[in-house]
Amino acid sequence: MDKMTEEQYRAISNMLRKRSLWMLHYCTGCGAMELPPTMTSRYDMERFGIVPYVTPRQADILLVTGYVNVKTLKRIITVYEQMLDPKYVIGFGSCAINGGIYYDSYSVINRLDAYIPVDVYIAGCMPRPEAIITMFKHLMNLIDSGKADGYKRYKQNYEFYKNNQRKVLG
Amino acid sequence: MSVLDKIKGIEGVNVKVQRDNRIFVDVKEDKLISVLYVLKNIGFNQLSLLSAVDRINEEQFEVFYVLYSNREKVNCIVRTYIPRDNPKLVTAAIIYPPAHAYEREIAEMFGIKVEGNADAGKPFILENFKGDVPPLRKDFNSMKYVNAHFQPFRHHDEVELEAKDE
Ligand code: SF4
Repeated sequence: MDKMTEEQYRAISNMLRKRSLWMLHYCTGCGAMELPPTMTSRYDMERFGIVPYVTPRQADILLVTGYVNVKTLKRIITVYEQMLDPKYVIGFGSCAINGGIYYDSYSVINRLDAYIPVDVYIAGCMPRPEAIITMFKHLMNLIDSGKADGYKRYKQNYEFYKNNQRKVLG
Repeated sequence: MSVLDKIKGIEGVNVKVQRDNRIFVDVKEDKLISVLYVLKNIGFNQLSLLSAVDRINEEQFEVFYVLYSNREKVNCIVRTYIPRDNPKLVTAAIIYPPAHAYEREIAEMFGIKVEGNADAGKPFILENFKGDVPPLRKDFNSMKYVNAHFQPFRHHDEVELEAKDE
């Protein structure tokens, strides 16, 4: 493939990717309560081609809701590393951003993107379904323009992430 | 004879009635097991909760047992106080088997030794906890622990910049 066609190929695949996002939701935080209305008929996120999925191998999006404690961080990393490229991570709620109300807890890590790369954050405690859908549209735009490159950053800065993970998980 | 009268008849207890269905019973630590035994015979057949509170100003732990009677529909909260330095407790798992897990929890979270419970003191809920003071004690400095172990976030760009400066 010469350079031009490769770009075209990428544009087309990005366009297709953004229309069928399969989501794995890792719902350990309380904000997960807002997902059922988003998934079901009231807000119906299947309109956008987003389907909740059951296994990491088949999912494109890892949605981490709310607080991540040391115990779940280990599982989240395992799940994240099982997912196939391209994969996108969403930090959901203020707890994933900076610890939220658990900022000084002995078991809750402060920032998710020190441990795995996060493409989109949603602020709020807890974010409303409208915010979730706005975020999905934002993520689609990012994918379309090729800016949702968290999985590439993870590979480029593998040592950085692994060091942070090691520091917490021992 | 009402259940309240029966509780008042137990030796060495200090009874306080907060509501009709909520009775507080204060006992000394050495009487605890016998009082629990009598309460179970009166009809308090369920242990709903066993936990502790760190009363750091009084230099003691408050350990409380929330009991429930299905027959009388009454909650009975048995409280006992143990010294903060060298806290020790005798297991209630013989009387109420669910106490086994609760005791493991307070052993881990407060550092209370539980005699007669072989599992108390073994790792239970906490994973990768590196502090030296049990986390639910009041003198555990949570913010300091967070700063020491969950580093303040630095973006990898910043890390690269710092590496270049050196
Ligand atoms: S951000 Fe709020 S709603 Fe979300 S997990 Fe944290 S405390 Fe719960």
